[in-house]
Amino acid sequence: MTRRKWLDKFVKFSAGIVAAFLSIPSLVMLVVPAFRRERAPWIRVGHLSEFRPNEPKAVTLSYQRRDGWVVRTSRTTVYVVVLGEGKVKVLSNICTHANCAVRWEKGRQAFFCPCHNGYFAIDGSVKSGPPPRPLDEFPHKIEGGEIFVRLQV
Amino acid sequence: MLRRFLDWLERETGLVSAWHRFWSQPLPATVGWGQIFGALLVLCLVILFVTGGVMMFYYSPTPDQAYASVQYIEHYLPFGKFIRALHYWTARIIVLLLIIHMVRVFIWGAYKKPRQMIWVTGVLLLLCVIGFGLTGYTLPWDQKAYWGTAVRLKIAENIPLIGHAVANFLRGGEQLGAVTLMRFYVLHVFVLPILVFVLVAWHIRQVHILGVTPAWVKVGQEDEIPKTQRLHPDHTARIAAGALVLLALLVWLSVKFPAPLEPRANPLDTAYKPHPDFYVLWLHELLKLFPPHLEFFGSFVLPTILVLLLLLVPFIERNPERHPLRRLPAITTGLVILFAIIALNIKGMEALPQPEKLSPLAKRGQELFVELRCYTCHGINGGGGPVGPDLGLGGKRDPKKVEAILRNPGSFNAHTVMPSYDLPPEEMRALVAYIVSIGPNSKMPPIPPVEPEKPPSHFEENWFANHKFEVRKDPASCGDCHKPFFCQACHQNRRPSSHDEQWLKFHFGNAAEQPAMCNACHTPDYCEECHKLMRHDTKWLKGHGTQLAKFGETKKWSGLTMHQLCYHCHTKQSCDECHKGALPESHKAPDFLQKHGELAGVEDLGLGTGNKEKVVVARKSQHACSTCHTKQFCDNCHMGKKPKSHEQPNFVLGRGTRDEGRVKSGHAVEALSKGQKSCQTCHAQQFCSNCHGTEMPHPQNFVNIHVAEARKDMALCQRCHTWSESECRQCHSKRPPSHTPNFRKTHPQQITDGGVGCQVCHGRNACMDCHKLPMPHPNDFVRTHGELAKQRGIKGKDSVRQLQKQLCVNCHTDSYCRKCHLPEFAQKR
Repeated sequence: MTRRKWLDKFVKFSAGIVAAFLSIPSLVMLVVPAFRRERAPWIRVGHLSEFRPNEPKAVTLSYQRRDGWVVRTSRTTVYVVVLGEGKVKVLSNICTHANCAVRWEKGRQAFFCPCHNGYFAIDGSVKSGPPPRPLDEFPHKIEGGEIFVRLQV
Repeated sequence: MLRRFLDWLERETGLVSAWHRFWSQPLPATVGWGQIFGALLVLCLVILFVTGGVMMFYYSPTPDQAYASVQYIEHYLPFGKFIRALHYWTARIIVLLLIIHMVRVFIWGAYKKPRQMIWVTGVLLLLCVIGFGLTGYTLPWDQKAYWGTAVRLKIAENIPLIGHAVANFLRGGEQLGAVTLMRFYVLHVFVLPILVFVLVAWHIRQVHILGVTPAWVKVGQEDEIPKTQRLHPDHTARIAAGALVLLALLVWLSVKFPAPLEPRANPLDTAYKPHPDFYVLWLHELLKLFPPHLEFFGSFVLPTILVLLLLLVPFIERNPERHPLRRLPAITTGLVILFAIIALNIKGMEALPQPEKLSPLAKRGQELFVELRCYTCHGINGGGGPVGPDLGLGGKRDPKKVEAILRNPGSFNAHTVMPSYDLPPEEMRALVAYIVSIGPNSKMPPIPPVEPEKPPSHFEENWFANHKFEVRKDPASCGDCHKPFFCQACHQNRRPSSHDEQWLKFHFGNAAEQPAMCNACHTPDYCEECHKLMRHDTKWLKGHGTQLAKFGETKKWSGLTMHQLCYHCHTKQSCDECHKGALPESHKAPDFLQKHGELAGVEDLGLGTGNKEKVVVARKSQHACSTCHTKQFCDNCHMGKKPKSHEQPNFVLGRGTRDEGRVKSGHAVEALSKGQKSCQTCHAQQFCSNCHGTEMPHPQNFVNIHVAEARKDMALCQRCHTWSESECRQCHSKRPPSHTPNFRKTHPQQITDGGVGCQVCHGRNACMDCHKLPMPHPNDFVRTHGELAKQRGIKGKDSVRQLQKQLCVNCHTDSYCRKCHLPEFAQKR
């Protein structure tokens, strides 16, 4: 019975088309975002001339962070250290021991963590105290004298 | 493998044979294309279910996130736009298909016994679909969603007695907001789908059991039509063809016309006019037919009656005939109601805003409207910012006035914050043409999305009025998106409200905390204008009196004197804290009052010397009088009073004539004895030159330069000094150095001042002693020298020769005459 078979095939073919038009966009919409990787943006920290060599300066960064459809303004403080010969480091101000905020002590020439008396040298390396590793350093780039940082360790 | 699984399934549940039984159901021969709409409706429901389900993964039913999540679906997800548009268009097509399906069933008489309940479930499904539409309408939380929902709830509120309770139940309270949105969401994705699922299952099950109604047979005679076809594949082929057409239509609509998304819901924007969806337009028209107090008849009573009527159709119309011509009363009643609804709907569509027809000029103006971001402040029948008036309101506009306002908004309203737009004439004409064309039916042109998105706070009520507080809290966060001069767009015409009379007093705290805010309008060196003079550093304490004295009463700083500036922070008492009882040591001396003039006159600061009438403030050392005292302080005593010495008879002019030998004037004596500084306590240095015409007393090195000075204007010297007498001779008793041995020969060359200098020693007629002639020769001497002999009474033939011997030969040789008197001339003679 060729007519019946032909009709049967036509019905199944149509069902397939309908299913395809429905399922492919839906699946793509569900699956693709799972594989999207967004890199942290470059955030401007300041101009090189604002920082003096061997004098770490705390800079509070305000930036927008996208979480799906929610955009939040976050703040992070970093220390910008200009070592000699224009070598720049952007250090986190969070102690690697217990996540307290460190501060630069000018007299001692060291970052000092008040929680458990940790000391870090100007380049972030541990001088003394309990911290297990140097201060985190953020990747940075310098374009036309402006320092940008990516808050991603 | 699959077969074994299906066998197992069949053994356990019997589902497979049920599936086959369902699809191989025999159908009457008269079943044709008219009967495919029920299946298409199922397809629509499936599409809605799938697309809605996918969107549920990304939708967030809270007022502050709903809109953003819909935008996320639209802009960030692949196929997001398509899925949402598909959902949108299917939701509209399903209503049309439902109506077609219902009309078809009505005309075929397919609801008649024993199929009454199929009709009833169908009507309930229609209500569910309308419920889907009403709840889904709210979910995007854009302007249309918010205001449309507000209108519908208002309509519900108009029902007598229970209206308020019903509205409050739907709203979840008195306020349209978070609870409302969540309720509508749950209704849309949970309650209604379950209802629809149950009703659809029941509906289809009944159709399956009772069979499809064959056309035009009387009730009870259905079996007379032979069942020559089966559901699959005879009828499913028709359905499949219909489904493909429907799918093509839906996909085409979804791609071509994306689902609209208006600006985020703005409860402030009362200018917004929501327009109902096409399938409820007739209800809105119905409302207009009733007076306001009977509105609920149109909004509630009539629709309820209509729904009840629909539900009861199979029980009212019990005529066993199915052919339409044999049951005319029912058919005509149904069609009259249907056409009434369609007519009302068409009338309602006329009231909808017509798409604008803009002239090319106005079209360019519309582009400018978007380019210049006019929409930030102005809406067009809603949609814009809440700052300026909505342009959709108001009557006809005068192009000239519109242009005047655009060029200078201040001319219209002095307090406006609208920036002026000085556009080139061509653009101005376009913009004015567009603004003039805006009417009550105009719509906001599509606005390109601005990155980054506005945060939810910008949509809050009173944001415009309250933004200053937010700015103060965290100006850096504004700076993330806005440039400093963003503020200036509005504030150039108006100082911020903080800048009141007290502002100067308190501005420092604000400026120190948030310099970025000041920099929005002021350049960084703006502070310097005042503060460079009054940096309160360590040096300031020493110099502040000087500064005060220097600027005195000049109103330099926005009409304020420096004293007034100080008093913004300090009181008068705060000066006394240091200055009272802390007189300098010098002031404590008993004879200070007598001596203060001398003390004051020791060192000139150069202050205030410009005006000779005014008292010169001088200072002694680091601590000047002016540290504490102003110029006026001296005037307290000295004004109008002269020192006693000034009252002597000969104080101004000396006594006696030049020849008798002069008595020096009193002021000269005093100036010489006390020193010029004592005069300068009161008089400016230039005071002397008023009379003397030269610096008085003569500066120290005057002796060296007095010759040159004297030669310039000897008369000036003569005012005081006599020559040839004691004064010059005191020094000039010896011959001056110029009088060298051969001075007699060279003196004509050295006399450059017409002999005035010579007269100092030699007297006026000194030249005559030798020359017997006025020297140098007067101007007309060349012409008259021939007459000299005659004048001198020398007579005789060689009178000229004699004259030469007497006079000319002293200076001139014989040959000198021949320069003019050529020898030829002499011989001739």
